[in-house]
Amino acid sequence: MGFVWHIAVRYFRSTRADAHIRALSTLTAGGLAVGTAALVLALAALAGFQNLLLEDLARHTPALQIELGGGSVPGSALQGAATTDPVRGLAALAAATNGVAGVQELLYARGWLADGDRPIAVEVLGYEKTPPPWIPVQGEATPGLIVPVSVALRMGLAVGDMVRVVSPRPGLTPVGHQPRTRMLPIDLIYMSDRAEDTDDPVLVPLEQASALFARGDRRLDLTLAPEADPEQVGDFLRQGIDPTVATVTTWRQANRALLFVLRLEKGLVFSAVALIVAVASFALLAALSMVLSSKRAEVGVLAAMGAPPARLQRVFLLLGALLSVGGAGFGGAAGAGLAAFLDRYRVISTPSDVYVVDYVPFLVRGTDVLVVLVVTVLFTAAAAVIGARKASLLHPVEAMRSART
Amino acid sequence: MIAVAGVTKAYQDGAVRRQVLRGVDLVVARGETAAVVGPSGSGKSTLLNILGALDVPDAGSVRVDGVDLTRSRPSALAGFRNRSLGFVFQFHQLLPDFTAIENVMMPGRIAGRPTSSLSAQALTLLDQVGLADRAGAFPQQLSGGERQRIAICRALVLEPAVLLADEPTGNLDSRSGEQVLELLDTLRRRRDTTMVLVTHNPEVAKRCGKVLRLDGGRLKALGE
Ligand SMILES: Nc1ncnc2c1ncn2[C@@H]1O[C@H](COP(=O)(O)OP(=O)(O)O)[C@@H](O)[C@H]1O
Ligand SMILES: [Mg+2]
Repeated sequence: MGFVWHIAVRYFRSTRADAHIRALSTLTAGGLAVGTAALVLALAALAGFQNLLLEDLARHTPALQIELGGGSVPGSALQGAATTDPVRGLAALAAATNGVAGVQELLYARGWLADGDRPIAVEVLGYEKTPPPWIPVQGEATPGLIVPVSVALRMGLAVGDMVRVVSPRPGLTPVGHQPRTRMLPIDLIYMSDRAEDTDDPVLVPLEQASALFARGDRRLDLTLAPEADPEQVGDFLRQGIDPTVATVTTWRQANRALLFVLRLEKGLVFSAVALIVAVASFALLAALSMVLSSKRAEVGVLAAMGAPPARLQRVFLLLGALLSVGGAGFGGAAGAGLAAFLDRYRVISTPSDVYVVDYVPFLVRGTDVLVVLVVTVLFTAAAAVIGARKASLLHPVEAMRSART
Repeated sequence: MIAVAGVTKAYQDGAVRRQVLRGVDLVVARGETAAVVGPSGSGKSTLLNILGALDVPDAGSVRVDGVDLTRSRPSALAGFRNRSLGFVFQFHQLLPDFTAIENVMMPGRIAGRPTSSLSAQALTLLDQVGLADRAGAFPQQLSGGERQRIAICRALVLEPAVLLADEPTGNLDSRSGEQVLELLDTLRRRRDTTMVLVTHNPEVAKRCGKVLRLDGGRLKALGE
């Protein structure tokens, strides 16, 4: 490469001499610097925002869910044979699976809370062990109810009050069919951290809930060991579970639509900002073409002295790399540095009541920076290849003649 | 050695077809120097370009240093030009971004020679034409005569088997011209170099073993 470097480096220096070429090479370097910096910054801002969103999502969604088939089949099967409860079987299977750290059985149902004669419809969540992580309540299961503040306010209830939980499934009593009900104390009132609190459930200990709502939707939420991959564990579980009985859903599958929108958002922002890099690459092509036309005769002389066309092409490819690497490298580093600075010192603030945090977080990811660099290299390489091709097509005699006239 | 037979070359200049060479025959033995003279526009540079594998004839055969130039692939010809030929172009054609010595070293760099021995060789050549102290100068800092002498050093640096020179002493005063001819003579004697010089200078032509005149598209011997 001695010859190629020798020529390319000298031509790179000579781009300072001609005002037009200098302008174009400055535009190339500057455009690439701005473009890569903007790309890295935009991706860091998106990653910071999406990271928060996903963390929030992870708090509300278990890594894996096993849902009993939504229809009547498992329900009736459950009712008939008390000895073999498929949920127990599935829970045992899940608990014994590699990578599963914990299994929690949940039951979802619609019912009513009645205090005196004013029943209101509520979501009921039967739970075992501890309240699920997305319910902002600390501590163990309580024998009574855990009620969202919205429900407590509507019914004028306070901790310690007794309230009646009513199930739509009637029970057979000596005086005919009567709704199944149970009086339970309110142990805790919780405030949801969700913006819309209309669906916040009333938590009922699983034992009571199953007795009241045998037709509720039963579900197992799995927590995984930190190193376990939800997709892998999910695939493994699916092999052992009859799909007509239960379906296994990873948190990614459960949030497919949201994840798709996040990816789409990232792709659109990336494409829009990448246009800066595309424009800078056009400037590079123009700069290379101008260098080549100002050096036509000299390239002709080099060809006449036996420099093979492919090597002359490489001279201009390398020149293209020299013209772009500084700008792109500086831009990438500056973008990453600026993003880290903005994140560290929380420079950009947001109103604290609209968002989880009161500043705009930035997250510089190695893969994002790599993607930016790869895209920049692809754009500039395309420009350089097109620009350099002309160098290999030069006819030495024509080139030397053209310079004299 | 050089053996040319029946070479023709025409240029299409718009609607006009200019037949520049109309059957040129030429033999230059190894170690011999031939001078080509002729009026301006008679096709001397065209003939030299064909000998130098820079242009292809319309018809005829061209053998230079054992290579049939009309039957070789372009990539092979590039290697041949670098290895076996030295060019002195009609206009010095130095590279303005490189110093005098870097220009002289350039064919060696193309050949991939180590730079240390190359620069020593280039400096020796520059010294022989009295330009050792100008080695670090850029072409635009040099006079026309100095540039031409550097162009000659560049053509000689790889000690080519064949040297093609288009008016090598054209821009030189008689003292510099004499130095250049000395240099060419030394090389011819040491390396048995075959040379073709295009010249207007009768003094230069007189020193050559063979003088040929290109006129009307044909080459005629003027004297041995
Ligand atoms: N590439 C070309 N296209 C058209 N005409 C050319 C070309 N090269 C040379 N000629 C013409 O051919 C003739 C011979 O040119 P040249 O070989 O340079 O003559 P000389 O070197 O003897 O002065 C001139 O008339 C010139 O204009
Ligand atoms: Mg000429």
